[in-house]
Amino acid sequence: MTEAGRAYLWAMRGLFVALCLAVIFWRILPLSTLPAGWAGPDLIMALVFAWVLRRPAYAPALLIALVVLLADLMFQRPPGLWAALVVLTSEALKARAPGLRDGGFGPEWLTVGIAMCLAALIYRLSLAILLVPQAPLGLSLMQTALTVLCYPLVVLVSSVALGVRKVRPSEGRRGRI
Amino acid sequence: MAQDRRHSDDYAGPLRRLFLGVLVICLLGLFLVWRIDSPRVERFRAAVVDAVVPNLDWAMAPVTGTVNILRDFQSYQRIHDQNQELRRELQQMQAWKEAALQLEQENARLLDLNNVRLDPRLTYVTGVVAADSGSPFRQSVLLNVGGRDGIVDGWAAMDGLGLVGRISGVGQSSSRVILLTDTSSRIPVTVQPSGQRALILGDNTAAPLIDFLEDAGSVRPGDRIITSGDGGIFPSGLLVGRVAQDPGGRLRLRLAADYERLEFLRVLRDYGGTRIDDTGDLIAPDAVPSAPLPAPASAAPVAPMPATPMPATPPLEAAPSD
Repeated sequence: MTEAGRAYLWAMRGLFVALCLAVIFWRILPLSTLPAGWAGPDLIMALVFAWVLRRPAYAPALLIALVVLLADLMFQRPPGLWAALVVLTSEALKARAPGLRDGGFGPEWLTVGIAMCLAALIYRLSLAILLVPQAPLGLSLMQTALTVLCYPLVVLVSSVALGVRKVRPSEGRRGRI
Repeated sequence: MAQDRRHSDDYAGPLRRLFLGVLVICLLGLFLVWRIDSPRVERFRAAVVDAVVPNLDWAMAPVTGTVNILRDFQSYQRIHDQNQELRRELQQMQAWKEAALQLEQENARLLDLNNVRLDPRLTYVTGVVAADSGSPFRQSVLLNVGGRDGIVDGWAAMDGLGLVGRISGVGQSSSRVILLTDTSSRIPVTVQPSGQRALILGDNTAAPLIDFLEDAGSVRPGDRIITSGDGGIFPSGLLVGRVAQDPGGRLRLRLAADYERLEFLRVLRDYGGTRIDDTGDLIAPDAVPSAPLPAPASAAPVAPMPATPMPATPPLEAAPSD
C-alpha cells in the first residue's frame, strides 16, 4: 500500500469519528429541557451501518465500539450493551456485504432495516431480563423507525458528499485495503 | 498484490475474530458490572462526562447561543402581540408585587414574634447549564459546578422559581441534575392547604404525576405543592409547583420552575439536619445518668427538681401584676 493511500485511510477514519462526535455534540446541546414527545433517529447507528457496508476499512470494529460506548456514557444509557449490539450487528452486515454489493439499494435497505429492528429488540429484551428500567416502548419504536427511514439519507450524504461508495468491480480489492 | 492481500486476510481472519470476541465480551462485561455495581460505573461515567463536556464548552456556548438567537428571530414576527401581552401581565404583576411586599413584611414580623429560627445553612451554589442529557428517554442537565465547588450527590437544584431536580452524579467540575420529569425521579412533597403527603413521579412528560395521596378528594387543582423533606433527602418547604388535573382525571404537577429555559440553577447546600432515629423510651436509659452521677450521687436527682418549676412560675405571677 502506498503512503498516500494510508494517509487517506486514516483521514477517512478520522472523519468517521468526527461525524459521530458531531452527532453526540449536537444531541447534548442544552436547547430544550422540556421532555420531547418524540425521539429522533439514532444517526450513529445509521452511519456505522452505511459505512460498514461500503468501506469496512474506514469504520473498524474498535472505533465503532469506542464511539458508541462514548455515546452510551454521554446519553445516560446502560454503558456497553448498545455498543456491543452495534458492533455485533455491523460485523454480521459486513459478512453479508459481498452479497448485497450487486443487488442495488432496495435489498440493502431491507437487510439493514431488519438488522436495526433486531438490535433494538435484543436491546429491550436484555434490559427486560436484567430488570433495568426502560424507556417507554412508543419512544423506542419511534426511534427505530426513524433510524430506518433516515438510513437512505445517511447513505446519500456519505456517498455523494463524503465519497464513501461501494467498491466497484473495476477497483478490484484495492478499495478495501 | 491482490494475492498477498488474500493471504494476509487468511492469517488475520482468526486473529480478527478473536479480537472481535474480546471486544464484545469487554463491552458486555462493562454492562454487567454496571448492572451489579452501578455506583462505581456511574462514577466512571461522571468522570468521562467531566472530562469531555467542559472541554466542549467553548463550542457549545456559541452554538447554543446562535440557535437560540435564530429561534428568537422567528418570534420577532409576533413581537407586537407579545409586547401587549407583556404590558398586561406587568400591570397584574405590579399588583402582586405590592401584595407580596406587604406579605413579606407581615411574615417577617410574625416570624420575629414567634422567634422562629430559619435554617442558617440553606445557602446555595449557582451553576450554568452546560449540556443536555442528549437522549429523549432521559431528562437531566449537566451543570458546570462539581465536586470542586463542594457539590454533593442528592442536593436539590432550583431555578429562581421552583424546584428543578436533584444532583445525581458529581464529577470534578461538572454535576448532573436529574430533572423532576425524568422517569427515575421520585420526590416526597406536601400539598399545601390540606397538608397531604404525596410523591411526585416523573414520567417523561412535562407534567409529572402526583401519586400516593392519602385522600385525593381533599386536593384540588391549583393547590400549592412544596417539598416535605421526608426521607431527609431534601430540605423541606421548597416550592415545586401547583396541582393540575389532566383529561383522564389524574392529578399532575404543573411545575413552578421554567423548564423551557433552564440556564442558571441554584444548588442548595444541605448538610442534613440531626435525625431522630429511635422512638422515645418510656424508661430513662441507664447510660445517661451513669456519667454525671458518680460523685454527687444523692444531690443530683434532688437539685433539678425544684429548678424546673421555678422559671415557669415567676412569669405567671408577673403577668397579672403588670
